Amino acid sequence: MRIAAALVALAAVAVLPNVLSPYHVTLVLPALAYSIALLGFNLLFGYTGLLSFGHALFVAIGGYGAAVLSSKLGLRSFEAILALSAGASVAVAIPIGLLAVRYVKIFFGILTLAFGMLFHSFLFKFYDLTGGDTGIRVLRPSLLGRAYEDLDKTTWLVGPFYYYCVALLAILAFVMWRLVHSPFGLHLVATRENRRKAEYLGVRVRFFRLIAFSISAFYGAIGGAILAVNTGQADPELAYWTHSGELVFMTVLGGFGNFFGPVVGAFSFIFLKDQLVGLTQYWRFWLGAILILLVVLFPRGLSGLTERMWARLHRSTPS
Amino acid sequence: MNSKRRKLLQALGGTGIIAAAQPWTSAPAFAQNAPLRIGILAPRAGIAGTIGECGLKGTQFAVDHINSTGGIAGRKVELVIEEETNPKDTIERLRKLVLQDKVDCVQGIVSSGVSLAMGPVAEDMKALVVSWDGTTQDGVKETMPNKRYFFSSTDNECEAVMASLLAIKHWKGQFKTVAGINPDYSYGRNNFAAFQALLRKYGIEHTVVADQWPKVGTTDLNSHVAALKAAKPDLVFSSLLFADLPIFMRTAHGAGLMDGGTKFVFPAAGFQHTALKKSFTPPGMIFGHNTLYFDYAKGSELQKQFVQWYHEKTNDYPNWEADRAFFAMAVYKAGVEAAHKAKGGWPGKEDVIGAMEGVRVQSLGGPGMMRKDHIAEQTFYQGITTHDNKYDFPTLGTVDVMYADQLQKGTGQDFWKWIETANIKL
Amino acid sequence: MTAFLDVVIGGVFHAAVLFLVAAGLQLVFGVQKIVNLACGSFYALGAYFGISAVSWCLARGMPPAYFLPVLIVAGILVGLIGPFIEALLLTVYQRDEAFQLLLTFALVLMFQDVLRFFWGADPQQLGDLVMTYGRVKVGALQVPTYNLLVIAASVVIAAGLGAFLQKTRFGRILRATAENREMSLALGVNVRWVYASVFTLGTMLGTVGGALVVPTAAASLDMPVELVVEAFAVVVIGGLGSMRGALAGALVVGLLRAAAISWYSELEMLAIYLVVIGVLVLRPGGLFGRPLE
Repeated sequence: MRIAAALVALAAVAVLPNVLSPYHVTLVLPALAYSIALLGFNLLFGYTGLLSFGHALFVAIGGYGAAVLSSKLGLRSFEAILALSAGASVAVAIPIGLLAVRYVKIFFGILTLAFGMLFHSFLFKFYDLTGGDTGIRVLRPSLLGRAYEDLDKTTWLVGPFYYYCVALLAILAFVMWRLVHSPFGLHLVATRENRRKAEYLGVRVRFFRLIAFSISAFYGAIGGAILAVNTGQADPELAYWTHSGELVFMTVLGGFGNFFGPVVGAFSFIFLKDQLVGLTQYWRFWLGAILILLVVLFPRGLSGLTERMWARLHRSTPS
Repeated sequence: MNSKRRKLLQALGGTGIIAAAQPWTSAPAFAQNAPLRIGILAPRAGIAGTIGECGLKGTQFAVDHINSTGGIAGRKVELVIEEETNPKDTIERLRKLVLQDKVDCVQGIVSSGVSLAMGPVAEDMKALVVSWDGTTQDGVKETMPNKRYFFSSTDNECEAVMASLLAIKHWKGQFKTVAGINPDYSYGRNNFAAFQALLRKYGIEHTVVADQWPKVGTTDLNSHVAALKAAKPDLVFSSLLFADLPIFMRTAHGAGLMDGGTKFVFPAAGFQHTALKKSFTPPGMIFGHNTLYFDYAKGSELQKQFVQWYHEKTNDYPNWEADRAFFAMAVYKAGVEAAHKAKGGWPGKEDVIGAMEGVRVQSLGGPGMMRKDHIAEQTFYQGITTHDNKYDFPTLGTVDVMYADQLQKGTGQDFWKWIETANIKL
Repeated sequence: MTAFLDVVIGGVFHAAVLFLVAAGLQLVFGVQKIVNLACGSFYALGAYFGISAVSWCLARGMPPAYFLPVLIVAGILVGLIGPFIEALLLTVYQRDEAFQLLLTFALVLMFQDVLRFFWGADPQQLGDLVMTYGRVKVGALQVPTYNLLVIAASVVIAAGLGAFLQKTRFGRILRATAENREMSLALGVNVRWVYASVFTLGTMLGTVGGALVVPTAAASLDMPVELVVEAFAVVVIGGLGSMRGALAGALVVGLLRAAAISWYSELEMLAIYLVVIGVLVLRPGGLFGRPLE
């Protein structure tokens, strides 16, 4: 049932370019990117119970990976860019993870925040290497070998690139689904629920957390690469701690207890932010207020809300 | 299940309906009396907030004038104002202005970082953008030599070049050690690089004894000033231009950095000129006011009118951003009107672009023009400061005026080669 | 030599202000186990309110020399929003820490626009007021007297806090509640009241810190977000929950930053993060804290 709905939604998203104006379609692209990044983040948060306030680090690695590979090293194949950026992200995640998974709760959060800001500082200060606050340009990559040179950037973005990203999201979501429902996934939930007990039962807690961390890094980088291609520039703000905060916000908005929560959160947040920015100068205030409402009243997010509504519906109608 | 359905509803219902509600007009050329829509991208908050607001005043002044004298070729001007923040979000705003609001032209942009990212996007979208203050330089290299739709302001180095020339002219032989404290982004880096290049060109022997790069927005500069003091420089070159400039001035004065006869060069002091109070800003410094010096005795009637209008509205005195904004509007207006006259009907985008290339205008701060390679040329004002005035901040005692063709590289030239070979009069 | 002293004094000044904010953080964490991401927002609030208070007083003819006490009073006054914020946090006390972090993050977002709404988008400064107390000159060493006054004020507050926690009855109640909430409740302590007071005190430390720093710097909308990272560095290095840790951590961060700026300015914040990571790895409890899981 869930899967059927997911497929319908996927089809709907795939059809969006035919329904929406080009501007709104270019808004959907970051939603797709964030959906991917958050699927990874939620593996860590929702399933393993570790709140990272530095996930933006991996998003930034993905973005800068795409930038450096395309404009400095001349690599144009998006597949290669994704593979290399994600690989770099995992390579960075492993040593950090080895350190971080020893801690939980607040220390994990602060440690990840520190690493994220470390990268931000590096990107910002080493002007000659990283372009400083301006960042590095991201050139248009080729998709599956096709360069589509005759299309201008916007048409390419809402055309081939869009469908490519939707497919990417579908594939990565499927992989994550299998992962989460595998013994590995169940082990993660066990460590979240009761660490001592899990250890007692023979689960290598730290090892599993490290794997979850690395996978989240993989997904984060892919999301970051898509974001950077969309903007055309990778800049240090991608790694700033408030960007990490936004990622957490999105996940909680969508509902971290639900597999599809992060995706719902990404789309809702982008849409919400766009509407708010258009409406008022003080959009941060309202965004903050909404987050407070979420945390206090609807901690299970939008998907939690709809789950409750669905349950109530089912109860009142004879099945 | 429900979560996916929710997402479906969200995606279709939300964005779809809004998209469908947009009028399907594509602003046909025959709608002569429909207003001309101009999008403005300016910072409204944060470190560049005051600058954006000042620029907006310049735009408002220009538009008030234009609309009261019949508009641009008979069409009134309507502004759509969006906020400039970081590159990623500002590009989204640009897309909204062009694809959704369907503006005829976009003006604005103060941050060089934003414009660097924006240039290629504007070209890709074929969006006519006239930048106020951002260039498309990376360091001192022009990253987009063949711009078609993007019109840049003067190069970043102009004020640095002029300030360096003035420093050499007035203080040659009086300094051996040099220190820099510049904001840590492309503008700061460009400026200091240009200064050093000019010192080399004129064979001024110097040693850089300290170079500080405070991040834009740093409010505590005690340690930076301490480091400068320790280096004992004869001359300090600083392109600080945001709220950190008055903070630096105060801190340096308090720590005694100004007591030892050290010379100071501030190519971008004009942005914060009214915040640099006499009590902590001694005279005898080189200040750059870029393209608008509000107190210029030989200023045009237009400038004097504007300064008075601005003072009445804000109880303050304008900085050059207002002139940049005015210039952008003036260039666009001149282009549209010239193309309109040549065509005998409403011009298309390409016609306007063609007419804008090479056009000469009178801006608030004096004459200027838009080069064929889409880089602006304007008049620059710098000088040595004095306390002999009626304000509580220093103004220029002597005013040097230079035109941009003396201060920026020509079409397609490399900055370093231009510096070496150009015949710049001191 | 003077150069070295200049750098040290600059670092100690920065440390003095950081200490105040960090002390507020530590107090709240120690007793209520809440990590307040909005500490930077309180700092900024104190700065903006301080400017308004001083400008208001000056406009009514107050002699400039009194601006320092005005700042301190302003900081304390605006810190009184503490109880209201604490009431909001009440809703997430028993929940997962993640929600506490998120709630305070939401406050950061909201405060940014609240500050913008009341004080506008431009950074605000107090002009030349800082020079009212003149400069202290010892040979070639020159420091504005105000900076030394702030350092002194910080030391006094640190000592006061220490005495308060160790010697007074309320201080002991605080420490007891921090160690064992249930036991304190059982012993008849009004824990609600303790929590509210502690949070307010923590808030006030932050707002006073902001008010004190503003004459030498500026109040800007970036402050809340920038300061948080430094404040966190301080509490991690010093040890979460420890007041002595706040002092030690502040000194480490302040001096390290000053040193980095002097020798290799690119390293400025990088050095601090590296130390944070180093401390977390080698001595996770920080210099003075209790090591945690």
